[in-house]
Amino acid sequence: MNIAAITDHLPILMVAIPILFSALMMFLRSAPSVQKVINLTVSFGLLILSILLLINVLNNGIVVYEIGEWGKYGIVLVADLLSAGMVLLSSGISFLALLYSMDYMEEESLGSTYHSLFNLLVAGINGTFLTGDIFNLFVFFEILLLSSCGLVVAYGKGGFTKSDHKMEATFKYLVLNMISSFIMLVAIASLYATVGTLNMADMAAKINVMSETGNLPWHIFPAALLFIVVFGNKAAIFPLHYWLPDVHPSAPSPISAMLSGVLIKVGAYGVLRIFFLIFDGTLYMFQPIIIFLALVTIILGSISAVGQNDIKRLLAYSSISQIGYVFLGIGMGTVTTIAASLVYLVNHAVAKSMLFMASGSIIHEAGTRDMRKMGGMVNSAPFLSGMFLIGAMSVAGIPPMGGFIAKFVLFDSGITSKYYIPILIALVFAVFTVFYMIRAWQRIFWGEVRSEKYDEYHSHGLSWKMSVPILVLSVVVVVFGVYAEPLLSIAQSTASQIIDPQAYIDAVLMREIR
Amino acid sequence: MNNVFLSLTIAILFGLGTFLILRKDVIKVIIGLSIISHAVNVLIVSSGVFNGDNAPIINGHVSDSSSNIIFNDVLDNGVLAPVVANTEEVAYVDPLVQALVLTAIVIGFSITAFILILAYRIYEEYGTTDINELKRLWG
Repeated sequence: MNIAAITDHLPILMVAIPILFSALMMFLRSAPSVQKVINLTVSFGLLILSILLLINVLNNGIVVYEIGEWGKYGIVLVADLLSAGMVLLSSGISFLALLYSMDYMEEESLGSTYHSLFNLLVAGINGTFLTGDIFNLFVFFEILLLSSCGLVVAYGKGGFTKSDHKMEATFKYLVLNMISSFIMLVAIASLYATVGTLNMADMAAKINVMSETGNLPWHIFPAALLFIVVFGNKAAIFPLHYWLPDVHPSAPSPISAMLSGVLIKVGAYGVLRIFFLIFDGTLYMFQPIIIFLALVTIILGSISAVGQNDIKRLLAYSSISQIGYVFLGIGMGTVTTIAASLVYLVNHAVAKSMLFMASGSIIHEAGTRDMRKMGGMVNSAPFLSGMFLIGAMSVAGIPPMGGFIAKFVLFDSGITSKYYIPILIALVFAVFTVFYMIRAWQRIFWGEVRSEKYDEYHSHGLSWKMSVPILVLSVVVVVFGVYAEPLLSIAQSTASQIIDPQAYIDAVLMREIR
Repeated sequence: MNNVFLSLTIAILFGLGTFLILRKDVIKVIIGLSIISHAVNVLIVSSGVFNGDNAPIINGHVSDSSSNIIFNDVLDNGVLAPVVANTEEVAYVDPLVQALVLTAIVIGFSITAFILILAYRIYEEYGTTDINELKRLWG
């Protein structure tokens, strides 16, 4: 098999390989060490393939892959810059999270279904980012929902999260997401009944024609509103955010890193894809709504985070407030603000995954999740203290970390787009972020040693499988802060592709019209 | 007339499902969720029943130019295939929505199976199926 054959089929490989290995892992349950090696190899291979995909998209423009010879009537996978970039981000984080979970997870949980479900989750995420068909988007949403539910109830070593907490959190997560997926089906059905197609590019072209001729039906607007509910629930935007601070802390740390790093970004991706492609003509009505919800999310998340004593709960509330900043940029809706919110999204994904993994190691070190019982760990865990400080500085937006560049670009673009009041509110609550992140670091690592629990999990310490992912991610955080130009330029060209979806529509529809 | 009854059925199913989701029992919530999922399924099928002015599916053997069906996209003129003129009678029901509904049923089925097992585990941990007792997390 030569390289050209692989690059032709990259989009389908990103989805098919994890599904195939998810099935294979079920048969390998009697050989856990083989499972580990194969799963790590597959995950690393997917990372390489996603880099190839992004390079391919950068060089040759939008890649469209037809599944079967059905043209726009079948399912197409479309990799534009946004999709390819998100796939690269999720592949990188999932590889590192998998490496981390090798030593973090309990052997029994790891040996049963963990590898299989993890592959299925990766398939769901990649499929969501790559698909060009709106019903297929729903199917991949369900795949990632179910597999992430199975992963949330998996156990980490030490049992710091009780199983009743896991069950309760998963129940909330599942019920809310089931309702949101029903809402999504209603929205898809009404869209299909209106335009008679499920292909997103085809839909966008038809709705464009309708709005140009002036007979855009009124029920496009409620359908678009339903999609805000769906993606808002996935991304934990204000009225739908209350499942997140239960679910993310209850999950084992590498899965928390996946949930906070990648899964809530699926909501942001959905808004960027659906609203700027299909509902382009209705966007003027929804931009104020998105900005308002984003601001309330920022305020609520940062105020709640200040009062938390549980380290993972603090990080979860911080995720809520940070996703608000991403949606603020999306809501302003100009090329520069969308580019800024993409930069913000990438920086937050990297920093928050790193923080969740570091918090997992801190919990093992201290033997508790309660920050009031921690303290003085700077001597016993100097590596973790440095890494956590880098992550905290990035989320707080202190130079020279990536978070500073992200916040600076977002506020700068917001001010040049004349959104003074929202930027002012966001700026005020960015100060809260500095306060709770630095205070958390100070409570864990400074002060007198309070942790007296030296049990078996304390002594097992940091293995290289747990420290390497944290180290790699923190290096990425610093690199994004010191040498941000490549990320900024890619985000800029991605944003101009999002704002002007004609290239996407042409790439799907103009190739072979049958 | 049939359309009215269809819409009424869907509306009643949605109402029943919402009522059951708001009950205090885990099992009733799950039953409500599956009723809503079936309401959504019926809604999807109903979106493929036309009364004659919209046909999303190409009917291969009527490709002669005398009919008003256009099969090719002409994006410059704003024509997106397949397009059927208002005068054209469309008698058949859209088969695509039935394929969609099969997928939706299977997905709903698997999620219901998972959530039932979850409800059993919650009963094991908490000793009750009362939703109000599920507040150890203070979300």
